Amino acid sequence: MPIVIVLLMLCLPATVWAGWLWSDDEPAQVVQVVEPFVAWRTGPAVGYPVFHSSEKGEWLTLLQRKTGWVKVRDRKDREGWVAVADIAQTRDATGERVTLSVPDLAAFSERNVEAGIMMGRFQGAPVTAGYGGYWFTPNLAAELWGSQMLGSASEMLMVNANIVHQPFPHWRVSPFFTLGVGHIWVDPKATLAVPEERDNSVGHAGVGLRAYISERYFIRAEVKDYKVFTSRSTNEEATEWKIGLSIFF
Amino acid sequence: MENRTKHLFLTGFCLAHLMAIAPSVLAADETERDDRPLIEPDVKPVPVDQALIDTENFEIGAFAGVLNIEDFESSFVYGGKLTYHLSESFFFEAGLGFAEAGATSFENLAGNVQVLTDSERDCSYYNINLGYNILPGQAFLTENYAFNTNFYLIGGTGATEFGGDTRFTINAGAGYQILLTDSLAIHLGVRQHYYQIDVVGAEKTSMNTEISTGLSVFF
Repeated sequence: MPIVIVLLMLCLPATVWAGWLWSDDEPAQVVQVVEPFVAWRTGPAVGYPVFHSSEKGEWLTLLQRKTGWVKVRDRKDREGWVAVADIAQTRDATGERVTLSVPDLAAFSERNVEAGIMMGRFQGAPVTAGYGGYWFTPNLAAELWGSQMLGSASEMLMVNANIVHQPFPHWRVSPFFTLGVGHIWVDPKATLAVPEERDNSVGHAGVGLRAYISERYFIRAEVKDYKVFTSRSTNEEATEWKIGLSIFF
Repeated sequence: MENRTKHLFLTGFCLAHLMAIAPSVLAADETERDDRPLIEPDVKPVPVDQALIDTENFEIGAFAGVLNIEDFESSFVYGGKLTYHLSESFFFEAGLGFAEAGATSFENLAGNVQVLTDSERDCSYYNINLGYNILPGQAFLTENYAFNTNFYLIGGTGATEFGGDTRFTINAGAGYQILLTDSLAIHLGVRQHYYQIDVVGAEKTSMNTEISTGLSVFF
């Protein structure tokens, strides 16, 4: 027995060294099927046909993930796609249930980052906008916006920074209020008689609604009222509405 | 009576003795029995760490094709796109495209006339779209190869810079994606771009058809 231990001790550094040299830097992610079976599809969507299934007790290596699907390989080197929900029913080598995150309503109310694209109208002109936001608390977020408005008389670019307050973060359809400042660049159309570029600071306030749909996305709609601070005697006002699709993390 | 007392004490003593010995006997048994394998495996069971699974929801690609710019002939168009797959069905796509417009029929017939300057003939566009994989499927090349495919519908808004102005543009179309591997795809697509333009007379809606082929990788 001591001899065996001594031999083991001698071999140990070599095996560790060999492992470092030859194995992948990431350990293979293997899971064991504990349900009666899991269905394999040829691709990452329910529209692809089921072509194989793994029985209870089989070991699967997780290769990559696309949206709600995981590509697996079995011990006979076959490859296919299994739904994340099915992988969540398997156990890993330690015997623990595998935890793979599936975004849901709970994840939506605890999101940290969101981003989206929106379309609508800014004082009659079509607007295309993109934004990103960070949530400090479940109620309070800061956002950065970039918008382009292409009217019949002018082309406008606008950047905005605003804070968003959401009183009911756990609601599936959740209203919010927003307040912010920004800058607008107005470039009149070339075909107009006296094209004159100008840029102004803006301030805005708005209300909106977020509606969680499923997985990682939700619909967002909002109305904002802008005050454009001009160098003339009166300031301009503009109303904007937008609707769009956003994702969260 | 004496016998009875002796009997009580003796049985008590014997029992106590037995109880004292029993654990030591069992303990001795345990040291002799060794359930460990002769050589202990070096591999420890590793829990699944989802951070180590490669997630491929983004797709970046380049495309080239033909864009028919209304009134200004058809031109070579090229560009790039970045796609984010929200789910197995929906995806966001942001695209950029570049082309150079040709001459109008009027310019060709009249000879020495130019409706647009050379720099105004440069056409570029961007768009932000939402796509929907409506017909996922498979394509079979001979009896040896099967490729996953997607037929998708796509549409969105953006802007086209052409003829000296930037114009709000709506685009809609469809595409066919053939996945050569799970990380590499070919796209064949048709898009219609609509915008308002007034460089050749009255303002009108210009319809511009684009047919393109592209290659993309997932990451």
